[in-house]
Amino acid sequence: MKSTFLAALAAGGLALGAGQAFSADEITLQLKWVTQAQFAGYYVALEKGFYEEEGLDVTIKPGGPDIAPAQVLAGGGADVIVDWMPSALATREKGVPLVNIAQPYKSSGMMLTCLKENNVMSPEDFPGKTLGVWFYGNEYPFLSWMAHLGIPTDGGEDGVTVLKQGFNVDPLLQKQAACISTMTYNEYWQVIDAGISEDQLNTFKYEDEGVATLEDGLYVLEDDLKDPKFKDDMVKFVRASMKGWKWAEENPDEAAEIVLDYDDTGAQTEKHQKRMMSEVAKLTAGSNGALDPADYQRTVEVLLGGGSDPVITKEPEGAYTLEITDAALSN
Amino acid sequence: MLRERVLPVATVVFAILAIWCVFVVVMNRQFVEDQARRAGQEITFGEIVSQAYTLERPVLPSPHQVAAELWSTTVKKKITSKRSLVYHAWITLSSTLLGFAIGSGFGIILAIAIVHNRTMERSMMPWIIASQTIPIIAIAPMLIVVLNAIGITGLLPKALISTYLSFFPVAVGMVSGLRSPDQLQLDLMRTYNANDRQILWKLRLPSAMPYLFTSLKIAIAISLVGAIIAELPTGAVAGLGARLLSGSYYGQTVQIWSALFMAAILASVLVAIVGLAQTAVLKRMGARP
Amino acid sequence: MNDGFVWFAIAFWLGGWAFNEWLVRQKFSNPALNRLAWFAVPVIFGAAIIIIWEGVVIAFNIPPILLPAPSDVWVRLINSLPILWADFRQTFLKAVLIGYAIGCGSGFLVAILIDRSPFLKNGLLPFGNFVSALPIVGIAPIMVMWFGFDWPSKAAVVVVATFFPMLVNTIQGLSASSSMERDLMRTYAATWSQTLIKLRLPAAWPFIFNALKINSTLALIGAIVAEFFGTPTVGMGFRISTEVGRANIDMVWAEIAVAALAGSAFYGVVALIQRVVTFWHPSVRSGRS
Repeated sequence: MKSTFLAALAAGGLALGAGQAFSADEITLQLKWVTQAQFAGYYVALEKGFYEEEGLDVTIKPGGPDIAPAQVLAGGGADVIVDWMPSALATREKGVPLVNIAQPYKSSGMMLTCLKENNVMSPEDFPGKTLGVWFYGNEYPFLSWMAHLGIPTDGGEDGVTVLKQGFNVDPLLQKQAACISTMTYNEYWQVIDAGISEDQLNTFKYEDEGVATLEDGLYVLEDDLKDPKFKDDMVKFVRASMKGWKWAEENPDEAAEIVLDYDDTGAQTEKHQKRMMSEVAKLTAGSNGALDPADYQRTVEVLLGGGSDPVITKEPEGAYTLEITDAALSN
Repeated sequence: MLRERVLPVATVVFAILAIWCVFVVVMNRQFVEDQARRAGQEITFGEIVSQAYTLERPVLPSPHQVAAELWSTTVKKKITSKRSLVYHAWITLSSTLLGFAIGSGFGIILAIAIVHNRTMERSMMPWIIASQTIPIIAIAPMLIVVLNAIGITGLLPKALISTYLSFFPVAVGMVSGLRSPDQLQLDLMRTYNANDRQILWKLRLPSAMPYLFTSLKIAIAISLVGAIIAELPTGAVAGLGARLLSGSYYGQTVQIWSALFMAAILASVLVAIVGLAQTAVLKRMGARP
Repeated sequence: MNDGFVWFAIAFWLGGWAFNEWLVRQKFSNPALNRLAWFAVPVIFGAAIIIIWEGVVIAFNIPPILLPAPSDVWVRLINSLPILWADFRQTFLKAVLIGYAIGCGSGFLVAILIDRSPFLKNGLLPFGNFVSALPIVGIAPIMVMWFGFDWPSKAAVVVVATFFPMLVNTIQGLSASSSMERDLMRTYAATWSQTLIKLRLPAAWPFIFNALKINSTLALIGAIVAEFFGTPTVGMGFRISTEVGRANIDMVWAEIAVAALAGSAFYGVVALIQRVVTFWHPSVRSGRS
């Protein structure tokens, strides 16, 4: 419960049902997407009791296509969220003061996947093509990249036609788009599972194109950090989460099993999750949880360099803190 | 009975299945041919047909694929299993019924207020209609976040989406129903010196019953849609909406179709139950069957 | 200062209500004044709601990412008219209108065709009810898969959503004329088509218009929801879902306002046509439709 508005409503007796308890050691984590190995570290820390050892009672809320983690955070529905830095910085500029407290992912898993038969061999071939992009705050990396290449995104002969991609890889399979956005650990393998072999595909990794931005960091509200108790809880939370991540990297198959146990939809498959875990491990391997300011600076530059329509208009200030990870990793 | 009811329905179902079977080949053909071309193989028409019926990710699944999926997720799996459709249907059903109960109650009260107060009628009626043009579906996710912010969590936010959709047909139907007694009957009540409340209980409500049940049928079906919509953004945790979403996300068309069928079956059963209640109540009230 | 605004809002609401109570009881000699009063009542009610909303947002410091103030939404709406217009054109003028015309038109024609065959009627009606109960959200991803991501897939969703209500209502309407009237036509030696045009269709208009009204809101909502599942970068549903992710909640509400306005206007136009076509019907003559 954060703002006066909520307090007033709660006082007004509107806090129906299971309202949030105020015990400081209860922490709610809002994920960016549905339960899957992308978040294995947190599930492992929960299942293996790493959070308990720190004296925390953690609830993990899965996300979904229509969940904006920053909105949940501002609404008091979570204490800490997993978000991508581009949308976190853009949201910060809109007046929701998000602060990065840890960065378990070192590298970006984003890429464009194209069918070779569509004759997209290099970024020079993009103009005139239709490209699938995720929106909902995930479009920023793509828009920055296009801005760097100087390709307009409103269709036409020398621009690209952008298709708002749903949550699956159908646009590529059904030839609605020449290329679609995929994550190295998820959608790419859905294309492979659909029966397309790797040698029929061209991929453009954002890392290789020099436009990678940081993904899946942990963010909290700036005002919450003024509370020493909250800060202390976050130190414990980050420490336990990183322990979970490192355990998951070492035991990918078991980590995938744990994720499957927590999937309430019953739609995830073992094969897909195990593969996802091994790909995710490659992205988290380079990080001990602490944000590297150089990576942060690179992300900001990519976002600022958006030509006429940059994602953020000015250099953000105070958008990250190293205090939490320094304290978490020192002992 | 047999010739009037069963035969026509069976014929239509059969015709639809036949059309479906043809379309399975038409829709899936492209992908099968592409695959063969990518593998550099020649493919005969017979092979196209057989592959079109057994694709793992079909554009249009074949009837037997959907039937098999429905069978395995309802009968073979334990009801408590997260992979059981019965389990997901139950979650959706609970939220549907709660929303339906609140919505119909609210709709009836609103209708009574509108019939008895002209200010209510003239100031609210246009807004009640306008309220239904707001794409609630589009703001359901936000609504759930905002409700969470004021401490309303769990089943209620989902049910409130159903409420929002279901109060409308009930309110509109009940307004017509409460006004359905003709002037003669109203005058008769006046000669008995009945007050407003007596007129409501003894004349208006009984004559509104047929209208009420017609509206309730629409309301329960739309409550189900509301519950499914509300499940899409709640983090795709559980329920038929979550099945639809995750099926769509992982490109499992067979799962989408079986969830759809389950939803339609559930809706038909709910509407049928309201229909049975209607028959029973109206019979007791002396309506001609 | 902040709380002051809330008190002002509550006072405005109570004052508006009292004024409406007075206004409803007035009989102006001047018909223009009467009409003005007729419009003023719902407008005052709506204004009260907006002022209370504004008051709550200001008084409780609600963060704009949860709920923007109506004044902010208005500013955003005025400043982004070109975007809103492009979205409106894509969603409403293409998907909704085309889908609505095809869906209602074919529903009507099929009803006329199967009206002659009780066999088909008995077979198709249960199926129609079954499909009406399908959650439209579920068919949206399937339609996007079949008809591509531009407006035709949205129009297809609208067609499915509007077809069955029209079919069911038209069939009901065609059997609305009493047997005595039909016997009269027979004594005149009227053919089937003459009976249809001169008696049964006019008797069915109220039912048909009822379906047209229901469909007008269904069509808009269906198209907007379908746009959540893959679109070009324009359209009302696209804008709503994208701007939530970009934390521009004021833009989301501006788009919702446009949607509600378009939906209400659409409904209003259908209701107007109904008054013109069925000027003879008792429900219209008594001034209530």
